[in-house]
Amino acid sequence: MKKMKLTLVMLLAFSMVLAACGGKSSEEGSGSSDAASGDVKTVKIFQFKTEIVDGLNELKVEFEKEHPNIKLDIQTVGGGADYGASLKTKFASGDAPDIFSNGGYAEMEMWFDNLEDLSDQPWVADLVDMAKKPMTKDGKVYGMPMNLEGWGYIYNKDLFEQAGITELPKTYSQLEDAAKKLEAIGVTPFANAYQEWWLLGNQGINPAFALQNDPDAFIKGLSDGTEKFAGNPLFEEWAKLMQLTLDHGNKNPLTTDYNTAVSLLATEKAAMMQNGNWSQTEIDAINPDLNLGFLPMPMGEDAEQNDKLNVGVPANLVINKNSPVKEEAKVFLNWLVTSDIGKEYIVKKFKFIPALSTIEATPEDMGDLGASVWEYVQAGKVLPQQAPKFPDGVTQEFANSMQAYFAGKSDVTKMLEDMQASWDSLSQ
Amino acid sequence: MNSKRTAALMQQLVYIGPALLFFGITIIIPFVMGMYYSFTNWNGVSGNVEWVGLDNFVKIFTSDRAFADSFWFTTKFTIVGVILTNLVGFFLAYFLTKKIRGRNFLRTIFFMPNVIGGLLLGFIWQFIFIKGFATLGDVTGLAFFQLPWLGDEVTGFWGIILVFVWQSSGYLMIIYIASITNVSKEVLEAAEIDGANRFQVLKNIMVPLIMPAVTVCLFLAISWSFKMFDLNLSLTKGGPYGSTESLAMNVYNEAFLNNRYGLGTAKSLIFFIVVAVITLIQVRLTKNKEVEA
Repeated sequence: MKKMKLTLVMLLAFSMVLAACGGKSSEEGSGSSDAASGDVKTVKIFQFKTEIVDGLNELKVEFEKEHPNIKLDIQTVGGGADYGASLKTKFASGDAPDIFSNGGYAEMEMWFDNLEDLSDQPWVADLVDMAKKPMTKDGKVYGMPMNLEGWGYIYNKDLFEQAGITELPKTYSQLEDAAKKLEAIGVTPFANAYQEWWLLGNQGINPAFALQNDPDAFIKGLSDGTEKFAGNPLFEEWAKLMQLTLDHGNKNPLTTDYNTAVSLLATEKAAMMQNGNWSQTEIDAINPDLNLGFLPMPMGEDAEQNDKLNVGVPANLVINKNSPVKEEAKVFLNWLVTSDIGKEYIVKKFKFIPALSTIEATPEDMGDLGASVWEYVQAGKVLPQQAPKFPDGVTQEFANSMQAYFAGKSDVTKMLEDMQASWDSLSQ
Repeated sequence: MNSKRTAALMQQLVYIGPALLFFGITIIIPFVMGMYYSFTNWNGVSGNVEWVGLDNFVKIFTSDRAFADSFWFTTKFTIVGVILTNLVGFFLAYFLTKKIRGRNFLRTIFFMPNVIGGLLLGFIWQFIFIKGFATLGDVTGLAFFQLPWLGDEVTGFWGIILVFVWQSSGYLMIIYIASITNVSKEVLEAAEIDGANRFQVLKNIMVPLIMPAVTVCLFLAISWSFKMFDLNLSLTKGGPYGSTESLAMNVYNEAFLNNRYGLGTAKSLIFFIVVAVITLIQVRLTKNKEVEA
């Protein structure tokens, strides 16, 4: 999701691998349906987190050592749309995976006919409360959250100190002051990767939704026409915040992609960037010595209301209800989060913020950013991610409306009206 | 007599049958299924497919601004793209059929971009536009390089055009070269002896005689630029703010991003009809202009 370029490369590589793997897995597939003979069974996994591919493959070896009767066939395609399209193709062509990723909420509804009820699994009781929600329907749990991710403004603590910012900005005006102080020492306050639709339409917009009195009611109201974006005070505040980052940001934000923004921050040319804890590995690759932390995205002047970080579940693993090997698939999921080696990989290799209370993660494992998110989560100061509840495709449309505003093609009112139009058209 | 006919039929079946079978499985059947889905509200996953009649088409023509915008973008792109690729392709061919040094080498060079895949090419050019041009702009101070390349709708449009022309004109050049070398020397010499200047030779002799190549090249360029997807995806992903979203990309997004498979197939059906009609008209028009020496 975060690395579109890598995604496309992966997609190409995948198409080649597919040719090689396709024949093999179908052979083994026919073997696995022949249950009586006690053959080795193959569990096919299809997931979209490109950054954990290596780790998963190492885990696969460990798992197969312990379970000689189960083989894993792991395939990965990153990027929201590409993953979705490939998954649909697999289901349509009768090559459905046994375990696959799902984003929860609306996406769970979409795939609901294919999902196995996992409520009776031993790990369900250990799930962190907020991680359970995206895959829960009528009190039943249909997926295993892989991890938690948090985002806000990542800031460079040393640069803040140099600029003489002693108190962390928690309101709009404090953030504006901080930006001015940073500019005074010749640092670009914000690195804006506003080319990336997910950064804008999925993540950047989150506080404006999550801070509503009742986000679910607000989203429902949008769909039945009782709520509007235009005139909603939180959305006005949010537009002001976006404008602030533009006014104090890098040149050409609309052609700046994720990697460029990361390198601006990592080389200390910029002091802040809207992003999440997943970027820790990329930042470390350029400059491992930075002192980083998270600032919430302030909307207006209420410091207490603002002091919350956006947190979401990026992906859940679900089991295909119609799979002939779903019992084996359950064994793997359980092993993944209960075996020592599985736990170790989750925190040490994948650098995940665990979604289960039984998995312990230390700040050293997760890095500065992960630890910072973990603190917010434990203090309960979180804004749950709302985007998975939106109508399909609306987050991309939001990003388009926002980019048009950033480019000076529309004003705040027009942007909010455009967003409304997208919502109305896609929620039908 | 009868057995002869059967034998002929068998022969045809053996030679054409396999190809027909695969064509049927991979092209005809999906096409017909697509037509069916375009009258439904299927989301691409769920088991229930509901027949909605012409609703999808009504929606596309009455309330889908994005489709209209991408249609307009694709039309503009096709007009500019077709003219430029053919002009560049033709003149490259024209000069590379003259006796100049290293012309085989140059032909290879101009053909090369065509061998590189569109995605890869798009990423290379994206880097050139965003990093390369920006650096050149800082160094030279030329306004052309200081534009926000790919960052607004104008530079986005021309950026894709530039790469498209660069990629496809080499291919058209090869077709034109083949055709130009086939123009008989006698006719050209005769024209020269009659006192025609270079421009007259080009306009009155050369172009009419290579009209078959023009038919082919126009056809190729029109269908390429209408169906352009990979460059679009790798250069701008349809952005900024959806201003460079081509028809093909709009269809893809509708089907797989918005999860409205029925609506997406309806769009692709319209897309197919438009491309078919336009290319048919074009082939008929240029065919009429073809002459024999």
